Amino acid sequence: MSIIKKIDKKDLGKLLEEWKQNFKLLTPSLQSGIADFTEWDGKDTSFTDWYRNTVIPPKRILLPLVENMFSYSKGNEGYRLETPPLDENKQLVFGIRPCDAKAFSLLDMTFKKDYQDTYYLNHRQNTLLVGLSCNDPYASCFCTSLDSSPSDASGVDIMLTDIKYGWLVESVTAAGEELIQNTENLEEASEEDRTEAESNKQSALQKISRHIDTKDISEKLHKSFDDEAFWQQISAKCISCGICTLLCPTCYCFDINDEVTVEGGSRYRSPDSCAFSVYTKMPVENPRSDKWKRVRNRVCHKYQVYPMLFDEIACTGCGRCIRLCPVNWDITQTLESLPSSEVKDAK
Amino acid sequence: MKNENSQKKLIEEAKKLLKECRLQRIIGFEKGSLRFTTTPLITYDAADAERLVINPFIVNNLSNFLIGLEGKTAIVAKGCDSRSIVSLIQDNKVKREDVVILGIPCAGIIDLDKIEKLTGRDRDKIDDISLNGEKVLVSFNGEQGEFAAADVLFDNCLSCDMPTPAEYDVLIGEPVAPKPPVPPQELNELKEKLPADRWRFWQEQFSHCIRCYACRSICPACFCNRCFADENKPQWLSPTPHWQDNLLFQVTRSIHLAGRCTDCGECERACPVNIPLRSLTREMYDIVNDVFDYRAGMEKESAPLMAAYETEEAEDLIL
Repeated sequence: MSIIKKIDKKDLGKLLEEWKQNFKLLTPSLQSGIADFTEWDGKDTSFTDWYRNTVIPPKRILLPLVENMFSYSKGNEGYRLETPPLDENKQLVFGIRPCDAKAFSLLDMTFKKDYQDTYYLNHRQNTLLVGLSCNDPYASCFCTSLDSSPSDASGVDIMLTDIKYGWLVESVTAAGEELIQNTENLEEASEEDRTEAESNKQSALQKISRHIDTKDISEKLHKSFDDEAFWQQISAKCISCGICTLLCPTCYCFDINDEVTVEGGSRYRSPDSCAFSVYTKMPVENPRSDKWKRVRNRVCHKYQVYPMLFDEIACTGCGRCIRLCPVNWDITQTLESLPSSEVKDAK
Repeated sequence: MKNENSQKKLIEEAKKLLKECRLQRIIGFEKGSLRFTTTPLITYDAADAERLVINPFIVNNLSNFLIGLEGKTAIVAKGCDSRSIVSLIQDNKVKREDVVILGIPCAGIIDLDKIEKLTGRDRDKIDDISLNGEKVLVSFNGEQGEFAAADVLFDNCLSCDMPTPAEYDVLIGEPVAPKPPVPPQELNELKEKLPADRWRFWQEQFSHCIRCYACRSICPACFCNRCFADENKPQWLSPTPHWQDNLLFQVTRSIHLAGRCTDCGECERACPVNIPLRSLTREMYDIVNDVFDYRAGMEKESAPLMAAYETEEAEDLIL
């Protein structure tokens, strides 16, 4: 049984203030000129007025743009190796959307399961997710086609849902329950509040207007893999920039680079994109020198390879790749137009 | 009405061309998948030509798609796009005889970010937007707002040198006369800053760059087979997106575009993190105009700016 409380809108500042005492608190913000999760400044709660979702997906908290893996310097007694300090502070991500929280679970499959990635785990451990149900999804959102919903709580520790004067606060995990129990600035929720939250969840569900059919999608992609004419046609307008991958909440490809000076150096890990023609060109060659192969790769990796490896589609339907694409390349159109029959005699 | 007539004419022309001229393809715009968007339509099928549209949202500079194509292509081009095509012809990237330019006189393209700011509503909550001469009408929830076109068009449209293409094969619609240019406000404000403040401004801006290279990918003038940013022998800048390297990339890109940039504004529009890139490229555009009396893509017979040298040119310019 989860614990259910509520928070009044006027008391949100107090609640965040309380949590800020014990956590590094991240909230949606426009501080940098674009919607992104940044450390809460201790006063601004205006994000509740404009926040639908961030441009920068919260995966950047786990996979930062610049990750220093180690540095070294040359001294009198030889080389000195420095590894970055561990994130010892607990952090709390306040207001993460269900799609982006689900993306964390999907990233876990690559970085936290069979292979344990030190850097990823360093940011992931001690991170609590306080989700905020969507009541105003974008026209580009299609989470309901991917086993999720605007109020899907499966990826978060605590879930908030809009009610008249604030939010219903529900614990989802044991860690979430513990936090709620130890939080002063929460009130008891009435039966009425619960009913209202439930009705808001239902109405948000109705607002999702974009749908795709994911039944047999892996199979369809498998069959269309060699249909060059199809992939050529759907990729013709793609400009091979990295927006759809770098701003996708589940894409995680990275590149590693050394920066070396006479005195020492550093090794950095940063995001890479399979959309780039120079992708993996540093070690060998890019096996996908043609644009249509790169477009196909992005679609297949999410909808065919990930299901094969982890039994989950690596897309959460957040719609960023549709909203932010400079030429309006729309993955849902591609998925809905996959050829139904296999191409024979493909080269 | 005007758009609808032009659109009809365009579809007719496109079909005729695809049938008669042994075209390999036509590049134009079709309705996008989100409200108030268009998307490039690249097709060789005359039946697809029915989907071609002309409206104040045909934002992309389609000339970008011409690079590296084989065979003959018909292409829809606004004034700025036609200049990019001419510039590509000058740079020998496109042959004039390989393109059929369907020129579109353009009164400006609507900037949805500005509409959102002015109306306080997200684009997917707006019912209709229409451009009517100097006015833009926006309706939402039964209400209607009227805005001056100058307040909602893209900044680069406000200082457009060529609303009607000078180079074309077929002109679709009535020519639009150039308007007196509006000074680039953002750039002028930047120029008034103290150098230290300006430096801080760019440091802040480039600390958001995610190195998606959309600015480069969408730019028809960025046609290098291998960009210096991707070189690793020697490595000109770090692939790691430190703000210094991000800035170095963009400054170098602006210099490389001197004499090629037509100020179509695509780089700034494509940037997902809203870096005001046009302040760099427009400054370069103005410098080129001041120093060399040259504007890119105006004259297809003239040599590309950086490939020409006059003996009378100021000596202090050449080392």
